[in-house]
Amino acid sequence: MAADVRYFGIRHHGPGSARRLVEALDELRPAAVLIEGPSDASDLLPLLNDPAMQPPVALLAYAADDPARASFWPFATYSPEYQAARWAVRNGATLRFIDLPASWRLAPTAQPDSPPPADGDEVTANVEPETSLTQDVTPSAPTLEQDPIGALAAAGGYEDGESWWRDVVEENPEPGPIFAAIADAMSALREAASPPEGFEAAREAHMRLEIAKAAKETEGAIAVVCGAWHVPALQAKSSATADRALLKGAPKQKIAATWAPWTSPRLAFASGYGAGVVAPGWCQHLWDAPRNAAATRWLARIAAALRAQDHLVSTASLIEAERLAFALAALRGRPAPGFEELRDAAISCLCFGEAIVWHTVAPLLLVGNEVGAIPDNVPLAPLLEDLQREQKRVRLKPEALERELAVDLRSESGLDRSTLLHRLNLLGVPWGKLADAGRSRGTFRERWVLRWEPEYAVALVENLVYGPSIAQAAAGRVSARFKDAANLQALAELVFQSLTAQLPAAVETGIDLIEKRAGQTSDCAELLSSLPALADALRYGQAREVDASQLDALVKRILIEGALTLPYAVRNLDAAAAAAMRGVLTGANNAVALLELTDDERTTWRSALHAIVNDSHAAPLIAGAAARLLYTAEELSPDDAARLLSRALSPGKPVTDAAGFFEGFFEGAGETLIHDHPLRQAVDQWVQSLDGDTFVAHLPLFRRAFSNLDRMQRRRLLDALFGRVSAGLQGRTLAANAEEIWPAHFERIVGILKARPADE
Amino acid sequence: MTDALRLPAEQTYAAELEALKANDGAKPPGWALSPRAALTYVMGGKAQNGVAISAKYVGDKRLIETAIATLATDRALLLLGVPGTAKSWVSEHIAAAVSGDSTMVIQCTAGTDENQIRYGWNYAQLLAHGPSREALVPTPLLRAMEGGKLCRLEELTRMGSDVQDTLITVLSEKMMPVPELNTSVYAVRGFNVIATANNRDKGVNELSSALKRRFNVVVLPLPDDMDQEIAIVTKRVGEMAQTLDLPAPKNVAEEVARVVAIFRELRGGATLDGKMTLKTPSGTLSTAEAIAVLIGGLSHAAFFNNGKLDAEGVAPNMIGAIVKDPVQDKAVLEEYLETVLKKRPEYASYYSTLLDLV
Repeated sequence: MAADVRYFGIRHHGPGSARRLVEALDELRPAAVLIEGPSDASDLLPLLNDPAMQPPVALLAYAADDPARASFWPFATYSPEYQAARWAVRNGATLRFIDLPASWRLAPTAQPDSPPPADGDEVTANVEPETSLTQDVTPSAPTLEQDPIGALAAAGGYEDGESWWRDVVEENPEPGPIFAAIADAMSALREAASPPEGFEAAREAHMRLEIAKAAKETEGAIAVVCGAWHVPALQAKSSATADRALLKGAPKQKIAATWAPWTSPRLAFASGYGAGVVAPGWCQHLWDAPRNAAATRWLARIAAALRAQDHLVSTASLIEAERLAFALAALRGRPAPGFEELRDAAISCLCFGEAIVWHTVAPLLLVGNEVGAIPDNVPLAPLLEDLQREQKRVRLKPEALERELAVDLRSESGLDRSTLLHRLNLLGVPWGKLADAGRSRGTFRERWVLRWEPEYAVALVENLVYGPSIAQAAAGRVSARFKDAANLQALAELVFQSLTAQLPAAVETGIDLIEKRAGQTSDCAELLSSLPALADALRYGQAREVDASQLDALVKRILIEGALTLPYAVRNLDAAAAAAMRGVLTGANNAVALLELTDDERTTWRSALHAIVNDSHAAPLIAGAAARLLYTAEELSPDDAARLLSRALSPGKPVTDAAGFFEGFFEGAGETLIHDHPLRQAVDQWVQSLDGDTFVAHLPLFRRAFSNLDRMQRRRLLDALFGRVSAGLQGRTLAANAEEIWPAHFERIVGILKARPADE
Repeated sequence: MTDALRLPAEQTYAAELEALKANDGAKPPGWALSPRAALTYVMGGKAQNGVAISAKYVGDKRLIETAIATLATDRALLLLGVPGTAKSWVSEHIAAAVSGDSTMVIQCTAGTDENQIRYGWNYAQLLAHGPSREALVPTPLLRAMEGGKLCRLEELTRMGSDVQDTLITVLSEKMMPVPELNTSVYAVRGFNVIATANNRDKGVNELSSALKRRFNVVVLPLPDDMDQEIAIVTKRVGEMAQTLDLPAPKNVAEEVARVVAIFRELRGGATLDGKMTLKTPSGTLSTAEAIAVLIGGLSHAAFFNNGKLDAEGVAPNMIGAIVKDPVQDKAVLEEYLETVLKKRPEYASYYSTLLDLV
């Protein structure tokens, strides 16, 4: 091998090593650049230099017959691999991925339960859609192989590998020949570790073979860009036959690959991406900012973020913060302030010691909210393919004309169709709209109106950032919406939607979030307004075979919390607030009726209603509504109700209060009055006690209360009031021999009813 | 031995300070110890020559690092925190470590006036000889400036805002003008100010933003470890019970654990198992209050309950600590009782007693 092969052991997404790598490449000017990445996706690499390609983006490889089995290889601007690829395209060097083909990872037989034991430089989306981003290398107990830097850092007296790497490689102003030093360190480390086995061994064998092949084909220097851990293994002499032996039995799996837009939060270690970085925003900043001004600019960005939130941050404080950061770095023996030092200094000088103020700006600064963009000429998105496959599976054709579809959730095919339509709705693709989006939920039947619009394809592709298959993307999108949901009601509705879309992991996340939010809020209206959606979710969950025990406990807890705060929440409300609260109250009461509750829990709710009724400070409208709910639930006897009404409507009360109570009690319940004599009397007396002007002032109110009675009912009410005949039929009495003649009458009636119309 | 009830830190821990001084690294001008040695003195550890150093503060090391680094930048340090979070204790020990002298203290109160911050006059001298340097009576602040030491201001927010603002020139220009003598006192290297303040009390004099800007602020939190807090409470309750001649019943340890658990759950806004989030009452519920609740319980037990410590003796004091706002806090407590304590059999007596009292 005459070719000059140089190895650059880098850290994935390390801005410092990216910067050093570009410098080294400029110096070496290699004829070929080989990058650790799936070799069957090499064709896509030159696209990285497309001006429309804006990182963060991810290389996405998926099994052609099942996009749910997919792997992502994310790239940020500061990823050394990304910079190396761009360098190669700009300088006309041969550019290739050299790692095992993606087909190895995505073959269905290979480790069905666990992703391959990778060193975490890619994200594996396994069959379970919602967990795809959380099951990679666990950060809790990294082994030497997973975190070689951690071992080096421990040897250097650092608690955390990230800081060590930053100080020694990425932030040390005088690093020396670092790539050689890293290779030496890794050799020492690998001697202590057990030799790689299985998948890892195959990966390294494949890389060695590819490098040898490139060395034969290429005139000039070759640059190999790979994770630092692999360098010693790639440099080691190993016979080509032995390496080929390791690669025997390559799985036959057709794969497709494309680029997908990525987001900076998903580059973060906290998102479950094993090779992620703690603070992508900070890495981006280190990459963008000139080396000697990084600290100052970072503080300036913190100040800008704080000012955007109306905190007063003076320039003088910034100077002090920077001085403190440098003093802290000196005290901790660091060459330059890292983000921990800058954070501590910012908290102390800019936030007046309040860490909570820092936390309001930290996510935006440390994680960032960038979304990548991909050019138009990248291969077709897997979501569309997945949609076509799903359509075939559930036998639904996209049609441009409206069509009704009734699905029966008890049958498997019906459930599948409903699930697909619900998921698409979550993705902003309203192919099907629920026709009876109202009350028939929770039953086993759904009616959809289907209509496909061409722009839905575009809308669907935009969801690629959330996942490669419809199920994964729907789960990802719901998780994102959970984060934005401002109140319990929104959360509860999202949980319900996730339930109907069969996204169990999203449901769990949502329930956890509701639990947290319910613990924090003391707003009774917010608590109670989440109940209808949650009760629906509970009932629906039973129809959809979802374990609902946690949700059940949560609903009950929210109910009790809401019931306890209810009496305080209905005081001192103005008309608009009271009307809104009444809606919430009725909704919650309906939910209580639907839920399976113990007597104890029901009693808590009822006693809250009683407390409102008996509370003289409660808004009269709410008190009336509560009394009505109790009355309909037969918790209030007619006598009690009449007493209550006459008390609430007594002349001593201000007329507006009495009217409010009246409205609350009788809204949509005029019919009660026809049948309920004592109640009617109480109302009658109150109405008669009004003087002319007040009566006229309240006329709209009475109209509203009685408007839903039809003419017949109104007449019966008047008859009852004027004491004509209680049964309501004016001037008729029962015939003396009614009992005897009734059977004959009955027969005649039945005959008439059964008779066919003449024209049939 | 001395007759003094309590000696300043630099005397009590003289041996440790001496050990740390041996082979110490580079020191900022005017400092008795290097910042790193000062950190070791406060957080505990080992001196260069192997002498064990006891921990003076148990908690987050980063906070103390920030505090000491602040003093190294010649910025003033403000320690904030709810009552009972060792602010004064930390300030005393940092002063002892950094300047070897923790006795330059000004206790700020509503009655503190400018003369107690800047300088006073010896009126006999003043009348006999007119204004002169001899007639000037220096305050601890002025003496610290002249001696290059740390000056401690206790409970800074207790004194009036107008008096607080006399510090602005001292902190930014490191000098104290004496207009009566047409001169100024310039601070010697090593001078700095550590102030402590309570960030929970309402109705005290908020720092003006001009003054606040001249401090680096470190907030000392309540203990985050349950066992640690139980140990602190048990120890303090034992000591106080002894001074008050209260017999300690056998079950003190269990009741301490229960009270601390309830306090921590309400204060932290989550159950200890982390499964449920809770609302927090408006009160502090500090460790110090947990101690007071149990002392109250012990006293009740000794005088009214034949020496038996139980929920009935402890609960009334708990209500006092938890319910500071009669409407809001009561709702919080009710909810806590119904959703959490009701389901725990071992807290049954607390549940029923507290429910009765609410």
